[in-house]
Amino acid sequence: MYELLDALINGRLGLGWPGWAVALLGHVAVATLLFLVAPVQMLFFTYYERRAIARMQDRIGPNRVGPEGIWQPIADGVKMFTKEDIVPAAADRYVHLLAPIVVVAPTMFMFAVVPWGPGMVPVDLNVGLLFFFAISSISAVGLMMAGWASNNKFALLGAMRAVAQMVSYEIPAVLSLIAIVMLTGTLSVVQIVAAQGGLVISTADLPGVPDVGLGWFIFTPVGLLACLCFFIAALAEGERTPFDIPEADSEIVAGYMTEYSGMKFGLFYLAQYVLNFLLCAITAVVFCGGWQGPGVGWLAAQGLSPANPDGSWVFNLFAGMLGVFYFLAKTYFFFFVMIWARGAFPRLRVDQLMDFGWKFLIPLTLVNVVSAAVWVGITRWGPEEGLDFTAQWSPLLRWGVAFALTMAINVVAYLTLARLYAAAQAARGRVDLEELVGSVPTSA
Amino acid sequence: MAIERGNVIIVERGRRKERLPGSGLLEGMAVVWRHWQGSFRKNRSFSQIHGTFTLEYPEERPKLPEAYRNMPILLYDEETGHELCTSCFQCQRICPPQVIHMTQAKDPATGKPVPAVAEFVIEYDACMSCGFCAEVCPFDAIKMDHEFELSTADHGSLTVAKEQLNRPIGYYERIAPTMWAEVREQALKKLQGNIKRRPGVLGMAPNLAEKIAARLRELATTAPVEAAPTTPPGPSAPAGRLSPEEKAARLAAIRARNDAAPADAPPPPAPAGARDGHGEPAPSDVPPAVNPADAKAARLAAIRARNAARAQEQAPPEPPAPPASRARTDEPEG
Repeated sequence: MYELLDALINGRLGLGWPGWAVALLGHVAVATLLFLVAPVQMLFFTYYERRAIARMQDRIGPNRVGPEGIWQPIADGVKMFTKEDIVPAAADRYVHLLAPIVVVAPTMFMFAVVPWGPGMVPVDLNVGLLFFFAISSISAVGLMMAGWASNNKFALLGAMRAVAQMVSYEIPAVLSLIAIVMLTGTLSVVQIVAAQGGLVISTADLPGVPDVGLGWFIFTPVGLLACLCFFIAALAEGERTPFDIPEADSEIVAGYMTEYSGMKFGLFYLAQYVLNFLLCAITAVVFCGGWQGPGVGWLAAQGLSPANPDGSWVFNLFAGMLGVFYFLAKTYFFFFVMIWARGAFPRLRVDQLMDFGWKFLIPLTLVNVVSAAVWVGITRWGPEEGLDFTAQWSPLLRWGVAFALTMAINVVAYLTLARLYAAAQAARGRVDLEELVGSVPTSA
Repeated sequence: MAIERGNVIIVERGRRKERLPGSGLLEGMAVVWRHWQGSFRKNRSFSQIHGTFTLEYPEERPKLPEAYRNMPILLYDEETGHELCTSCFQCQRICPPQVIHMTQAKDPATGKPVPAVAEFVIEYDACMSCGFCAEVCPFDAIKMDHEFELSTADHGSLTVAKEQLNRPIGYYERIAPTMWAEVREQALKKLQGNIKRRPGVLGMAPNLAEKIAARLRELATTAPVEAAPTTPPGPSAPAGRLSPEEKAARLAAIRARNDAAPADAPPPPAPAGARDGHGEPAPSDVPPAVNPADAKAARLAAIRARNAARAQEQAPPEPPAPPASRARTDEPEG
């Protein structure tokens, strides 16, 4: 963006602006664009979810407002704006007002590092992934503020559940991302996407592979397990069924949102759907190549770039469009899986949620980190790192051995952990039952 | 086996099959996936579980079964123009929410009741659609309609009079062909019998103006002697000829005036004596045999009768027949 504006303002128009002004203009433009895009995505997601879940329940869903009901979210938004904003008399007014803002703001920040297409990233931070997850945890503070300020037992219960859940599930989410970080050796989201070129086998592992943008990490055992674990953790982070415990409407009304109405409630809703969009997007970016796909790399290479000054800007445009298309298609696919899970599974109990996170997901992701290390050791390391028995192997053999070994580690770990977990749950169930039977006077 | 409260029942489900962990989740998702796939075609067969059942209401209409019932309507015969209702009051009696009200038509010449209905009102807002009225009607005059879009902006329009309740038999035949075929014979036979007992144009559906006019013309040409009594208006009716109701009202008024004279004289103790059962039994103005409740009822009846009598005095023998007046206005038109 900076180069483009600089070329336009100082080159073509010859206005001679200072560098900081051009940079400011560029960032303001990008930020404005994202602030417009985020609510539109949220509106679309509400419509998408309602239509998809309706189909899963043999219904049609909203189809009255506009063609196939596409303007339904607009109608919902208008309704939300015209509702009365109620603040409970016993509430802490200022914290109550501030909470939705604290929840929404981090989700907007998270857009800063998400790449939409080739070269289409607001900021290419070298710690982008860390930034993404660090900033997302701030919204837990907002949730706690909302629950506390509402002065309502349901709200407080919901907030405590939300914070407990977010804190517990951030660990498996980050651990599964660490496996990918180990494979790529970078925290930059842009470079993680760039490392996923190739055809089933990534070009990073096997230099000779034709690059059609399909070397996604999900095709490796490490990436597959990481993707599954991350997606499950993302369901919990985004408070989606079966982990929608914080707002379990049949138990605690709407959790921390109980005392919110009007546009404040709308902001929570916005934050939730934007967060879901971002979690789906980061799943697509980290494990499924983001904008990578057949054709994008080739189009981008034909386009105008510092490496290729003779290229045509038309190719840049098409590369961007195709990249954004692939990115959004993958993101919407993952959101469809979220809806699918919502259609299929009932809500977990709080103790089940904690057990699953701490006793199953975290050990599994830890094992996955080990197999990521094995993968890196076999495919990358050589004699200079002190690993000389792979020196004579061809890259394809290295890749094959790494694949088989990590696959074996992950499958064995999964089966063992599943068995252990099932045994632990069964034992716990027996203890519960004994407690229950023991407390009741048994009459023969 | 008696299950006591608080006891724990352990259900033995047998050993679980050894399966790949997580396959249960995938099976659950597969079920939902099949529903999602199937939902893109419509399902109108209730033996199937896949497919969309939704009927998109304003565009698609449900096919209502014949016996569907919503609100009662009245039938009239298009050929003769006569209503099937004979004002037998069966429906009014059986109606659980008591929303059916009617008055019987009277021969304007003789003042005698005629097997036809003068005014018929149903309060649709309180009707519970039980269909008892249609079940009980011996003349198959009241039937249950299939129309269900009755919402309105004003409450009052849900009190529906005869003009809006009337439907031709053909309408009912269309919505419930077999049900009408079952009763058609006897209903029309009874109607023919009733038509003979209806003088003039009594019992004809008021919306059939041409039919009524034609019938009046026919009456004027074929039987001028018989038609003559219908033309003299109310005032010319002899004062001595009163309908039974008018007689009863007069009688009640006279009785009330006689009763009211002593009751009016000491007004303050009267309600007190009627009200308190715990204090003195107020022997002064109430005969000792009568208990307070009866006394109260009697007094209420007396007041009502007095009011009725007063109304009677203000408007002496009123022309009792709206059909007659309608006949008079319709005659020049036809």
